[in-house]
Amino acid sequence: MTGPWWRIGWRNLGRNRKRTALTALGLAVGYIAVVFMVGWAEGISAELIENATSLVSGQIEIHDEEYRPERSLYDTIGGREGTDVEALLRDIAADEAVVAAAPRAYAGGLVSSGEATSAGSLMGIDPEREVALTRFLDPLVEGRLPVPGAYELVVGEEMARQLEVAVGDELVVVASAADGSMANDLYTITGIYSTGLVEFDAATAVMPLADLQTLVVLDPGRIHEIAVATADPAASGATAERLAATLGAGERAIAIAPWAELNPVLAEYIALADSLYWIFIVVIFAIASFGIANTMLMATFERRREFAVMLALGSSPGSIVGSVLYEAMAIGLVSLALGAAVAGPLMVWFYAAPPSLEWLYGNVTLQGALLTPTMRVGINVPAWTWATVGLILTALIAAFYPAVRAARVPPADTLSGL
Amino acid sequence: MRSTIIALTATALLAAAAPAAAQVDPLEIIDRVDRLLRGDSSRGVATMEVVTEHWERQMTMEIWSLGTDYSLVRLRAPQKEAGTATLKAEADIWNYLPKVDRTIKVPASMMGGAWMGSHFTNDDLVKESRLVEDYDIELAFDGEDPDGVAVWEFRLTPKPDAAVVWGSIEYRIRQSDDMPLWTGFYDEDGELVRTMEHGEFTEFGGRTVPGVMDVYPADKPDERTTIRYEELEFDVDLEPAFFSLRSLQRRR
Repeated sequence: MTGPWWRIGWRNLGRNRKRTALTALGLAVGYIAVVFMVGWAEGISAELIENATSLVSGQIEIHDEEYRPERSLYDTIGGREGTDVEALLRDIAADEAVVAAAPRAYAGGLVSSGEATSAGSLMGIDPEREVALTRFLDPLVEGRLPVPGAYELVVGEEMARQLEVAVGDELVVVASAADGSMANDLYTITGIYSTGLVEFDAATAVMPLADLQTLVVLDPGRIHEIAVATADPAASGATAERLAATLGAGERAIAIAPWAELNPVLAEYIALADSLYWIFIVVIFAIASFGIANTMLMATFERRREFAVMLALGSSPGSIVGSVLYEAMAIGLVSLALGAAVAGPLMVWFYAAPPSLEWLYGNVTLQGALLTPTMRVGINVPAWTWATVGLILTALIAAFYPAVRAARVPPADTLSGL
Repeated sequence: MRSTIIALTATALLAAAAPAAAQVDPLEIIDRVDRLLRGDSSRGVATMEVVTEHWERQMTMEIWSLGTDYSLVRLRAPQKEAGTATLKAEADIWNYLPKVDRTIKVPASMMGGAWMGSHFTNDDLVKESRLVEDYDIELAFDGEDPDGVAVWEFRLTPKPDAAVVWGSIEYRIRQSDDMPLWTGFYDEDGELVRTMEHGEFTEFGGRTVPGVMDVYPADKPDERTTIRYEELEFDVDLEPAFFSLRSLQRRR
């Protein structure tokens, strides 16, 4: 960007420094607002996805085709015969995008402390693999993970509260077994977990997979679910498709669902949030553009004699327009530098050490995903790029009308003082 | 003057009501059948066979009941579950689990759950009630069923404040001996939920009652629960105190 018109535009910024500073500040504040709002919305989305896919659920879940939505005890992967769980896990782990995979079994039943009883869901897990996949058991609020074969389980904080039990207490678990009997046994609580999802914490007792299979009379090869963690939640759809292609050749159909399919409402919310960024950008810069237009109109009106002289000396109207647009562009660049100088460090701060709003509100759950009261921002490079483009475009568009007006100044009349 | 009018009106009403009463009084019939089947108290031994898509099992159980408020069921077989017992006292249900020697009260949220894996729910035990108290009863059909047997068919709809599970019940009773033959249970949308068939009318303790009861869930035609009485005696000497948590936990 060289040439006399660019230099003239740039120098014109210095004519009324206060006005220039105010205009630039207006644009910069708009820019910072966009960057932050997008950042926060992105942070919320990222946290929702993160919690929805790594707290308890995986980013991909593999079931028997019939399993969802009824979640029947009998619809195990591979059907009645079950499957070779180890081989299946190996095949899944072989995929490049898979970080971890863990087998699970579920059963419905009653959990009772003697005095109090609640209807509960029993979840059978492989403790070692589960900890590598999800966060809800690591760390526990209290105690330790159950050891297979020792009749041990962990319960949610809310369930422990409702049943008035603590680590070390015994619980009776009753469940409908796969052979139709009313399975029941005594288990010792070795730990208490908390996901923050109150409904889950109130209803779910977690025990080693083999123990649950023994209780409800399922063979070791019969599991209901394999939860899979991938490196990038956004790519989980593609990973699920790839897994379906490699694993799909079994005798009984399996369903491989990425999180967006397991939690469609959350996926829709995320998509809605993405489209909201555009509205942020448009609204904020639209407001800013009127400020610029006003300033530029003033600036060009003040200088109409100057434009008349330039036109009288032979400048083309196009170059007058160019000089005003260059001036607007220069303001845009100044605001961008100002905005980036403020927003950049703030974003780094809010990203790395987000302030907590715990004093304002507690944990919130949205569509089954936990939202903690921190103001962590997310990274959304495309949206910020668009904000930058938007800022420059705003400056140029807002200056276009004043520029055209400047180029149409009638030289003789203006110079003669009319 | 006024008393004359009342007397006249009353006479007219009685005259109008008399022919109906002479025919069929649904309430009276249902009440009679209800009392016959239940007795004031009873003790019996029954086998329950449950057939589902996934498994079949058979249990033998001893059953005590007193009025509609109390009942106690204790499994005798299979060996693995012998001693498992269910106590119903008024609106509550407790299960005794001999394996862990614990008694568990069934929480409200599990009342709709299957009882002992059968096609009965816990609610069936709790909401077991005198039909005439909870339902409005009308005669829907009076004639021969497809087998040529003279039957009454009654439609039972819950009274507005009755705490019952069903939207309506259809109840078919054999005219010759008041034996129930068939019962259809409908939900609030009028969908058939399950049917119950009674048969093998047998004399127990001086009364003829259905010896076998088959329950078929409407949505799973291949499944059923069959209860077959092996012993049954009525008006046995039972006190409410018998239906206590202590007797629930008594091991056999």
